[in-house]
Amino acid sequence: MSERTRVHYQEELEQLEERALGGIDLVVETLGRTLEALEHHDVELAELVIADDDRIDGRYLEVHQSILTLLATQGPVATDLRLIAALLHLIKSVERMGDQCVNIAKLIPLTGHDAPQDERMLADLVTMGRQVKALLGQAKQAFASRDVEVARDLVRGDDVVDNLNRECFRLAIEIGDELERREWGMSMMLVARALERMGDNAVDIGEQAVFVVTGLFEEFEDASKPRAATG
Amino acid sequence: MSELTEERFSEKTDAEEAPPAPGERAIAVQPGRFHAAGDISSLEKVFELEDISVSYGDAPAVKDVTLDIYKQEVTALIGPSGCGKSTLIRCLNRMNDLVPTAKVTGRLLYHGEDLYGPKVDPVQVRKLIGMVFQKPNPFPKSIYDNIAFGPRILGMKGDMDEIVEKALRGAALWDEVKDRLDSNAFGLSGGQQQRLCIARCIAVEPDVILMDEPCSALDPISTGKIEDLMMELKREFSIVIVTHNMQQAARVSDRTAFLMVELDSTEQNRWGRIVEYDATEKIFTNPSDPRTEDYVSGKVG
Amino acid sequence: MSDEFNPRTARAEIAIAGARGATAGILSDQPRRDVIRNSVFASLLFLAITIALVGLALLIGDNLIKGWPRLNMDLLTNGTSSLPDNAGLHSAIIGTLWIMAFVILFIIPIGVGTAIFLEEYTSKQSRWARAVEVNIQNLAAVPSIIYGLLGLAFVARGPLSLGFTVITASITLTLLVLPIVILVAREAIRSVPPSIKEGSMALGATRLQTTRKQVLPAAIPGIATGVILAISRAIGETAPLIPLGAATFVTYDPSGPASGFTALPLVIFNWVKQPQAEFQVLAAAGIIVLLAVLIAMNSFAIWLRNRYEQRW
Repeated sequence: MSERTRVHYQEELEQLEERALGGIDLVVETLGRTLEALEHHDVELAELVIADDDRIDGRYLEVHQSILTLLATQGPVATDLRLIAALLHLIKSVERMGDQCVNIAKLIPLTGHDAPQDERMLADLVTMGRQVKALLGQAKQAFASRDVEVARDLVRGDDVVDNLNRECFRLAIEIGDELERREWGMSMMLVARALERMGDNAVDIGEQAVFVVTGLFEEFEDASKPRAATG
Repeated sequence: MSELTEERFSEKTDAEEAPPAPGERAIAVQPGRFHAAGDISSLEKVFELEDISVSYGDAPAVKDVTLDIYKQEVTALIGPSGCGKSTLIRCLNRMNDLVPTAKVTGRLLYHGEDLYGPKVDPVQVRKLIGMVFQKPNPFPKSIYDNIAFGPRILGMKGDMDEIVEKALRGAALWDEVKDRLDSNAFGLSGGQQQRLCIARCIAVEPDVILMDEPCSALDPISTGKIEDLMMELKREFSIVIVTHNMQQAARVSDRTAFLMVELDSTEQNRWGRIVEYDATEKIFTNPSDPRTEDYVSGKVG
Repeated sequence: MSDEFNPRTARAEIAIAGARGATAGILSDQPRRDVIRNSVFASLLFLAITIALVGLALLIGDNLIKGWPRLNMDLLTNGTSSLPDNAGLHSAIIGTLWIMAFVILFIIPIGVGTAIFLEEYTSKQSRWARAVEVNIQNLAAVPSIIYGLLGLAFVARGPLSLGFTVITASITLTLLVLPIVILVAREAIRSVPPSIKEGSMALGATRLQTTRKQVLPAAIPGIATGVILAISRAIGETAPLIPLGAATFVTYDPSGPASGFTALPLVIFNWVKQPQAEFQVLAAAGIIVLLAVLIAMNSFAIWLRNRYEQRW
């Protein structure tokens, strides 16, 4: 029975969310290219990724400015206010993830063209990367549809990433004694680390989604603590 | 050794020693926990309303209001027009008695005493519970006589000049008018007139100040001055304010009650009901009722 | 160089001038119909006021001219006499002043009190209040001679039996003008904004305190106007005084409430009745004196009202 009021404001808010969530898509795209560059040792593609980070930074600035404007002009409260706070966190995570991709891309040329590699490690890294892509898609969906259960489930997927990270660490130590491969190994360890951080960022986005819905901060249990002794 | 390095390697540091059980959340924090106005068990109550309903003749205005108002807080009543906020606030100082057709049912306790008890004199009630109205209504007298009217009528002891000065200082008006106390009150600007009315109200040293949309007829700067004044006054008096300006309620109040309009089946009668009453911060960051959410976000009028 | 005739510039200038002229024309152009209507209306209003003023001027002027020969101090100091040369208005003036003094003394408390009671202390809805309302308005329209007969029956004789005295005249005239005072005072009290009363009550004042200290002071200018109107009416009333035994041939000055009396309108009326031409002159002079007394009393009252209004 009641009319919708503040239509312009609601539209602005929806647009803002779209732009912010679109940042996640940019990251997924960039990550895909990064993984390809990694897998096929494509230095030119790596350079492209590095240069293209400007796009993600630009998106960050745009969303940040829109948030400031909306806060100043529309005085959002309640759910709208929580949404805007969450979007600020979200876009920061996006920007960081973009930087992680750049970090990975920077490591690719360093390893040299004919450097010996460990196929297992490479396979793990690619799997990690694909898993992170999936996580990002899931995080975006959780946020967009305000689905708390899907958001909480992200932690499970991140466990996979964390386990793979541990696995990479183990493999890196294994080849650490080989003079030819250990430099490559250490670089790949850094790649694994960057991917693991991206996974955590995806989980953070899920936490923000839960905050928007419930108003509570939930820190999802994570698997950074080892379940069982390794070694 | 690998375990240690793994620990150092990972960024997250958990507070707990043992890994949490599957499905158990580590922390869930309510942001409001970090601010005041949450715990009400230790606060003194000024008013206790139980199922207060008011009707004018056959037409109901407000139904079944139950809430407590606490001492030295600013309590705001918000809601769309016609939801009975003014009617409700006028129950608190028995101004509804002046309307012949008004009928009030339910229990209204003031510091534990029934405000509508048979032996209670409404005139005495109003000496303790003062009111500031929507449109400034200074008397057609001098500024001095405006302030002095209350104390004179009540037979307050003491030097009248001192009483007047204290009241004007309390209303942040003294410096502006101290040189023209004998001039006509109508010569003041709107914001000054309203502050004069506030000074007049506090001159009789009440316990509670009721404000019925005190700033709606004023410009933003005067409104800001009066809002600042409320923060000062809150130290001595308990304040209940009706406002249709939500941002104002958010700015000045500690606790907010949201009333909504209900219609009966024939849509002839409309009355107000309390939907939610909570700490202001909660109402404006995470309200419990979706109707409150819609109203404070401005999505429903 | 610039002296060269540039057709584009010239045309542009003409176009601009034309456009400006058109705008100015639209802004200042009032349709002829409206202009005529306005003038006719203003003229009619002027005519109305002219008629009123001219009428008044003719009245005063005519009497002034006719009564001029007798407008001197003798007029005011001589008592009543059947000889035109000795006749004067002294007793009449004293009588009028005595009567008006008591009238004012009565109408203020009774009239204002009634108005307060009707406005503040009765519910507008009650049938009784509405009956009183209607009756007061009727009373204001009753012909004044009726009041004279009323006074004769109940005040001079009957229950009060006060005889044909000054006080009888005062009571009767009071009854005559009371409705005016009540009606005007009530309007004045009504026009005090309810917000003032609310503000006073909200401070913890009783109804009585609010009425005495807020409503009445604010209503005084209006009430004063009512009193002025009442005085103006009463001072010129002749008919009600006749049945009350206002002897037209009183040789003494009225000395107090209990004494016999005569009044200015009566004496003037009596003079008009006399056949001698000199009495007509006296009558005209008497009218001027009556007007002078009225203006004096009203001016004093208006001055009082203004002074009170300015105080706050």
